[in-house]
Amino acid sequence: MRIQLLLAWRYLWGRKQRMVLTTLAVVFGVTLLFGLNAMIPAMMESFRYNMVTTAGKVDISISSESNNPFDQSALNDLSEINGISQYTGILTKNVVLPESLGGSVNKLTGASAVTVTGVDIATAQKVRNYSLNEGRFLEVNDTYATVIPQLLADKMELKTGDTFVIPSSEGVAKLKVVGILSLSAAAGLDEIFVPLPVAQTILNLPEKINTIDILIKSGVNRDKVVSSILSKLGPNFKSGAIQTGEELSSALLMGESMMWLFGIMALAMAGFIIFNTFRTVVAERRRDLGMLRAIGASKHTIMGLIMVESLIQGIIGTGLGLVCGYLFCLGLLSGVGNIFAGLLRVTIGTPVITSANLIGSILLGVGFTVVSGYFPARSAMKVTPLEAMRPTLAIVEYRQNNRRAIWGLILLTLSVLGLVFGDVKIAGVSGVIFLVGIILIAPVLVKPVAVFFGKLISSIYPREGRLAQGNLTRQPSRAAITASSMMIGLAICIALMAMITSIEHGFMSYLDKSLGTDYLLMPPSLVLGGGNLGANQGLIERIKSIDGVKEATSLRLATSQVDGSTLQLIGVDPLVYPKIAGLEFSEGNSDKAFKAMSKGSAIIVNGVFAITNRVKPGDILALKSPHGVKNYTVVGIGFDYLNAKIATGYISQSDMARDFNSESDLLLLVNRKPEFTAEEVTPALQSVIKDFPTFSLIDSNSFKTEQMGMFKMAMSVFYLMVIMLAVPGLIAMANTMSINVIERTREIGMLRAVGATQTQVKRMVFAESVLLSALGTTMGILVGLFLSYLLVKAISVIGFKTDFYFPTMGIIASMVVGLVFGIIAAMVPARQAANTVIVEALQYE
Amino acid sequence: MATIEVKNLSKVYGSGETKVTALDAVNLIIEQGQFVAVMGPSGCGKSTLLHLIGGLDRPTSGSVFIEGSDISKMSDNSLTELRRRKMGFIFQFFNLIPVLDAIENTALPLILDGVKPELARSKASEWLNRNRLDGRGKHRPDELSGGQQQRVAISRAMVSDPVIILADEPTGNLDSRSGDEIAATLRKIVTDWKRTVLMVTHDPRIAAYADRIIFLKDGKVVDDTLLNGSNGDNAKRLKEKVESL
Repeated sequence: MRIQLLLAWRYLWGRKQRMVLTTLAVVFGVTLLFGLNAMIPAMMESFRYNMVTTAGKVDISISSESNNPFDQSALNDLSEINGISQYTGILTKNVVLPESLGGSVNKLTGASAVTVTGVDIATAQKVRNYSLNEGRFLEVNDTYATVIPQLLADKMELKTGDTFVIPSSEGVAKLKVVGILSLSAAAGLDEIFVPLPVAQTILNLPEKINTIDILIKSGVNRDKVVSSILSKLGPNFKSGAIQTGEELSSALLMGESMMWLFGIMALAMAGFIIFNTFRTVVAERRRDLGMLRAIGASKHTIMGLIMVESLIQGIIGTGLGLVCGYLFCLGLLSGVGNIFAGLLRVTIGTPVITSANLIGSILLGVGFTVVSGYFPARSAMKVTPLEAMRPTLAIVEYRQNNRRAIWGLILLTLSVLGLVFGDVKIAGVSGVIFLVGIILIAPVLVKPVAVFFGKLISSIYPREGRLAQGNLTRQPSRAAITASSMMIGLAICIALMAMITSIEHGFMSYLDKSLGTDYLLMPPSLVLGGGNLGANQGLIERIKSIDGVKEATSLRLATSQVDGSTLQLIGVDPLVYPKIAGLEFSEGNSDKAFKAMSKGSAIIVNGVFAITNRVKPGDILALKSPHGVKNYTVVGIGFDYLNAKIATGYISQSDMARDFNSESDLLLLVNRKPEFTAEEVTPALQSVIKDFPTFSLIDSNSFKTEQMGMFKMAMSVFYLMVIMLAVPGLIAMANTMSINVIERTREIGMLRAVGATQTQVKRMVFAESVLLSALGTTMGILVGLFLSYLLVKAISVIGFKTDFYFPTMGIIASMVVGLVFGIIAAMVPARQAANTVIVEALQYE
Repeated sequence: MATIEVKNLSKVYGSGETKVTALDAVNLIIEQGQFVAVMGPSGCGKSTLLHLIGGLDRPTSGSVFIEGSDISKMSDNSLTELRRRKMGFIFQFFNLIPVLDAIENTALPLILDGVKPELARSKASEWLNRNRLDGRGKHRPDELSGGQQQRVAISRAMVSDPVIILADEPTGNLDSRSGDEIAATLRKIVTDWKRTVLMVTHDPRIAAYADRIIFLKDGKVVDDTLLNGSNGDNAKRLKEKVESL
């Protein structure tokens, strides 16, 4: 091992430029992998901190299976159960604090939301311990009184006797602070305690609770008590705290798998670079390796030498990648943080390093490097001692690549056929097959592409162009591998840009359709779940009564479960909603669907839910509700702008009130009478809103502009990643060009000796590099178009009806990137080649 | 027991119309402490003979015995071990590892054999000193002249205390003065350090340092001569012989 380490290190050190370029590729891959994946847990953690409540320190928490509030009469059933010591019913929900009420997204200095917990004053203190810093706990005669934690008191500058104003379904609730708790809740938000009836009013959930906290008698088996409670309460209840924010968590988890994919793609490109480098290394050191074999190095010693070299690069690259990844994540989070703060009123913290991410990044970083070094190492093992006796010659590849090309052609044909089937899974496989096909066929493409683009270059620099063309085509495999790495980068760029363009067009049309009214009364967070507090009927009635308002309708929210998966329910008025807004239908039609909905027990589901649960119109869904399982008939597949990403079902508001106890309006859509101007209607609306500070009045045009801005901001992060993915392609090219120059030192010396000028040598290297990038770009565009078509198709299939838009901008950008990369990659090697000292070069071994 | 014994050794490259017989049933015995030079025109099979004796290549038929062991039947691992412990190689192009210094290059066979690095380095330094390279131990190959590089290669060949030294055109890449120095060193290996040297060369002046000259032509031994007398006379005789063959 010592000899391998010594030689590996010395060889690496002896070729610093190449080592840096190869290692950089690994650094880059690990940076993306580690950095992006440190971002998601940070977002999740912040999200949890801001949104998710905890059960506190009780023995058992009982909530409804569908996470909805339930009748507080359920408490009566518990009195007969053995093993229970104490129990109390609570109603708890996150409430976002609007800025007008002192809310702040900075979680260190302010509170963006509070958890309002209504407690039964008679029993609460028997179950949980409320230790106070000052004042007292709630008493039986208290009405609008609250006990708040010290941390919140500090942040909001509140003391006992002060009034704490929070949003309420009636507008606002003015709570008198009667006590300050010494500790905040175990985790999560600042939890404030109010009498249960007050909470029920604030949250517009009369006679409802959503959790029962239970203490059991000592020495009693907890599981037995839980099962007897559940059997008493029935199948609609579960043990455990209520879970909020599941929808966003699952969206973030989906993001996480995207991040892994990005990172692995970047590492795969790094793999190409390493493979290419070590293949050249083996060819270059053929004589050294032969000599080592001759003087007694075993085959495995030789293989170990190359493997150790790749391992060293893997370790260094991965180590640096972890550091860079952390910094990259910090940078990204500060960018994304603004979007989150604006969109969801959630503050993002620092990168969170999970052991899975750390171990995964290390294993993949080092693993990809070692695996990429393995195949060249195996061919190094086959170098015979006789190689030591042969003089060095520049390597020229005479091997025919025809067989591989035929396989490539077969795969390309299969992948195109795969598209015809129309099945998204087959199409996905087609994408991979297409990529492999292009990589296999690439060496054969080298010559025609080089000849075609070579002609263009020759028209400007005839002599250098021809030489460059010859140089590139003498080793088609190496050129093809370099181009493949660039191809992957560019193809992903094109595909993602096409996807973004298509989604942008699609979203604008959904936006028009679902939120196209004159006014929107928006909750603080655009994700409807996440801590928004609705208004009772009072708000919409007042709005309808305004002169100049033609019509108004609202969206309501509840949660259910179908076969174990969560389904967000949106309650709409089937008579008014389709008139002033509407859903984008991919199956079924609007008229029939809403007509069916008005008859009751009918549901329209969105594509995300339909795909994951294989649901089609006509199916019956068994929705878990606080009143047991309710059957709903699927009458269409469609979605609105806000709920496109989350598994959602649309039911009528009367069904929602009956089955899911939800009667609060979360979002209101309002249309003006045509004969009235905005100046006449807006002030009247604003005066109503004043009493409901949770809501903000937005006219749809400025909302659309704001949404587009938001969308573009979110996409800019995406674009950044896309650009980052193209960079390994540049490294690959720079690497190959520097290898080419080093390998041809003697030839370049000869060219200089027979009269080539420095400029001519430089031009030759530049021309070769541009030809190489032309090859990569051509392949990238082909694969990119194919992948983009697949991606857009896949998006449509999973329920976002999206039309394919030709990625003209993506293609133009790729061509520019290709040309620029070609020139940048050749800069250092071209200078090196031009500065070759003729005598030294002619003696170069 | 002869140090090297070659029996009916043949090597054929290619088949059909492209078939080339590089060695044709060669028989040879080389005793311990002999300095043998193999001469002959280009393509006569002299390098092939050296490769087969050194276990770098496998014969088509026949056998090579090194100290009584038939190496043509050995596994790759055994052959590798044999080369490491019993043979030293000197190449025309020196074949030093460019990224290692003179001591590290010289110590390579010992390190490959698992000898402790300190011991390997001190043995390497000893051999470099014997070959008049004192003070050059820390120099990398590109900082040494051709002659010096070849003396590092000779030190590397000797460091593992081998029985046989195989040299393939060791002076082919050197000027005549450096060539003479190398030939004299090879002579010393035989006279002072009692090793057997088998050298392939086309230069009669260098071959004149040997004890015995084997002439090959078309893969066959056509002459086997023991040399007496002065170097100058021997060189002259050899030149005439080469021309006559």
